Amino acid sequence: MSGPADAPAGRDLAAEVRRAIAFLEHPPTRGLEPTSDLTIDEELIVHSIGWEPVELVSGLSMVSIPWSATLWSWGQGAITPASSAYEMAFGAAIARIHAQAAEAGGHGVVGVTVERAVHASSVDITLTGTAVRPIGAPAVPPDGIFVSDLSARDFALLTIAGWRPLALVQGASFVYAPRRSVGAVIQQRTQNVELTNYTEAMYNARETAMERMQSMALAVNASGVVEVKVAEGPMPFASHAVAFSAWGTAVRRSDTPGRRIDPAIVVSLDDPTLLFDAANLE
Amino acid sequence: MSDPSADLPEATGHRLEELEHGLFTSDLSVNEFLLVKEAGFHPVGFVMGSSIYHIGFQTRKWGQSQELTKLTEAMYNARELAMTRMEEEASELGADGVVGVRLDVNYYEWGADAAEFIAVGTAVKAEDGVSRLNKLGTPFTSDLSGQDFWTLLQTGYQPQGLVMGTCVYHIAHRGLGQTLSSTGKNVELPNFTQALYEARELAMTRMQDEAARLESSGIVGVRLEEKSHQWGSHTIEFLALGTAVGGSGGAVTLPKPTTIISLDN
Amino acid sequence: MSDPLSDLPEAVGRRFAEGGFSSGLSVPDFGACIEMGLEPLGFVQGFCAMQWGWFGSQGMRGSMGYPMAQAGGGYSEVFQCPHGMRGSAHRSWGQNFQQTQVEAFWTEGFTSARSRMMDEAIALGAHGIVGVLDTVNEISDLQISEFHLRGTAVRVRDAAPSALVPWTTFLAGQRLAKVFEAGFVPVAVVSAVSSVRVWGYCMTEYLIHGGAGASWLGTDEPQEIEQFVVARMAARDIVRRKARGQLDGDELHGVELDVTEWEVTDDDWEVRCRLRGNRLRRFKDFDPLPAPRPTVRLS
Repeated sequence: MSGPADAPAGRDLAAEVRRAIAFLEHPPTRGLEPTSDLTIDEELIVHSIGWEPVELVSGLSMVSIPWSATLWSWGQGAITPASSAYEMAFGAAIARIHAQAAEAGGHGVVGVTVERAVHASSVDITLTGTAVRPIGAPAVPPDGIFVSDLSARDFALLTIAGWRPLALVQGASFVYAPRRSVGAVIQQRTQNVELTNYTEAMYNARETAMERMQSMALAVNASGVVEVKVAEGPMPFASHAVAFSAWGTAVRRSDTPGRRIDPAIVVSLDDPTLLFDAANLE
Repeated sequence: MSDPSADLPEATGHRLEELEHGLFTSDLSVNEFLLVKEAGFHPVGFVMGSSIYHIGFQTRKWGQSQELTKLTEAMYNARELAMTRMEEEASELGADGVVGVRLDVNYYEWGADAAEFIAVGTAVKAEDGVSRLNKLGTPFTSDLSGQDFWTLLQTGYQPQGLVMGTCVYHIAHRGLGQTLSSTGKNVELPNFTQALYEARELAMTRMQDEAARLESSGIVGVRLEEKSHQWGSHTIEFLALGTAVGGSGGAVTLPKPTTIISLDN
Repeated sequence: MSDPLSDLPEAVGRRFAEGGFSSGLSVPDFGACIEMGLEPLGFVQGFCAMQWGWFGSQGMRGSMGYPMAQAGGGYSEVFQCPHGMRGSAHRSWGQNFQQTQVEAFWTEGFTSARSRMMDEAIALGAHGIVGVLDTVNEISDLQISEFHLRGTAVRVRDAAPSALVPWTTFLAGQRLAKVFEAGFVPVAVVSAVSSVRVWGYCMTEYLIHGGAGASWLGTDEPQEIEQFVVARMAARDIVRRKARGQLDGDELHGVELDVTEWEVTDDDWEVRCRLRGNRLRRFKDFDPLPAPRPTVRLS
């Protein structure tokens, strides 16, 4: 029977399990009662950099899109009321998740899922994530609480490499696609031609959304934004309204120097198999 | 030298200015971001190029398989416009190249016969300050992921540019009568397989021509996409995409790989 | 002592009767069990069919301006119309309240199903149950919800029979092995439900549907739909507190939060949150793993 003197790989798991089960006779000792939606793999990774999960937190908001935006479907250019509603909702949601994290004693929130829905008259934003903190750290973080949609794993990787997440930053812009005159439509029928005013309008909208995201990043003194996601799509409140949005995590170099990543190259000998485990069977 | 961003809409200028002042943006995943840095490049900014193009109508013979050259031109020009604008944004940022390039086509309800072609990627700059521009003097483009980019550099090669070749082909309709009547007879009609073969070859040859223009050693990561877009099932666009590569002059540092058997589910 | 495996044919029979439902232990999971020194004893399950007769009777919305919901001592908040003049179609008041009857229904259903599953495990002489799957089957025309919990009963080899109730966990296989390696022991599967009913008042109605002018809304600017925001945040808070209430000092990991919202009748919604997780206890001091080695796959 292997004992503790063996190499870690030979650690007797069955003995550990027996010891663990015997421990159930005793009441719990920590009493901190963290709740966390991290998987056990993510927890181990977070632990390996000295952080721990604290609490499942969320922040949400629902904001109305004023009547004027929906009424004037012949409108041109930027749809300011829709943009403002979206900005307001996102801002309020971030503020609320921030507050919940602070209340729980977290230093940051990772793994935030960003759910956005634009309805005919309202914008819905819901953020859910896990508040984390360095193990045993004091309740108030000196540098402010970060909110980030980085997965726990990505957070750990970035931290090892010497980067610090600062905030979830986003930008959006809603526009009407310009109209073509009937004459133009007929004339262009057989031609291959670029529709320059369309291109320009869409370009502007996209750039505006990105720029708003960048402004948020600059406001928190970030060096950059990683994992930028861009989305675009038609809007339900007007048939030719299109929304562009971008969001990501603003980061800055941390004070502790990072390690080089220096990955090893592996060749996996697994064949991909249809793996399943009990928790996923339905 | 003309202003590379003269063609870009005004709104772009302001955003790129912010990026030039030190803020970087990147749509690379964290893995890719760290590997690109490990490869000696720093992400500079998320760049995009787009073009809304009206695809002209082209008449075609029902019973004949043929390339629809007008449509081919249109699809090619539209993508070129989008790619060129993306490269211009990268040039403006002083970048050496763009990685993780994605080419997409969007259709909107309000744009009959119009499609939006978008090219997006992350512009990167070599940290050692040595220029990595390609033979044409423009930033290299590549649709390689961050992981593949790092691995490629370990082999002593570097991306030169994303190369593409396209061909829009109309596949002849064969009526039931024709099918029945051709049994037992010699009929001169290009057969279906031959048509597809030709179309694919055209697309790949054009892609290779682009690579030759870049004086590259070869093309990696080639994929062939076939789409009907909005033309119905007998008209297909064949798009060949790949990354042209050339020697980087760097040492080959690819170590012997470790073999592993993953025990995870 | 009777051979615990003699129960297996019956479990198999039940399994096949369900139309080839899998035992829940894949080959890798089975391998992991053996590695952990856990001996699978058989497939165990518990059912509980609950009929909900409370629909509609949980407070009737009155039109004369009085909140009627008794709220059962839970969260409750009234929203008053800010407009002076009211027509009969104008919703002059609204209310958010916690539907404690709905929550109690879910708690009873889940707890009964779980304890029946645990009874089957005790009959097998098991120490615990791994790979628990829980489903709720709603047969709405009969107003029945059927709670079904099932898993694989296991015995810890070379351990004495336990006087405690069997521990349960949603995890199985390598995931469970990692839990033990990380220093945790599973205690129980946890489920909590919160239900908040939203009787919309005029402001909510106008803001959600649009179409009301600035005169009703007071402004042409975007504004937060306060009633909904408050209801959703409350529903999440309540479900978290209830889950916490089942921990007794232990920790909750691998949490899954499902939120559903539906319109019961016109401008009358329900926000329901369901939170499930694994209650775990730390049995040894934390022993951090070395930072993992990053790799790039060549194939």
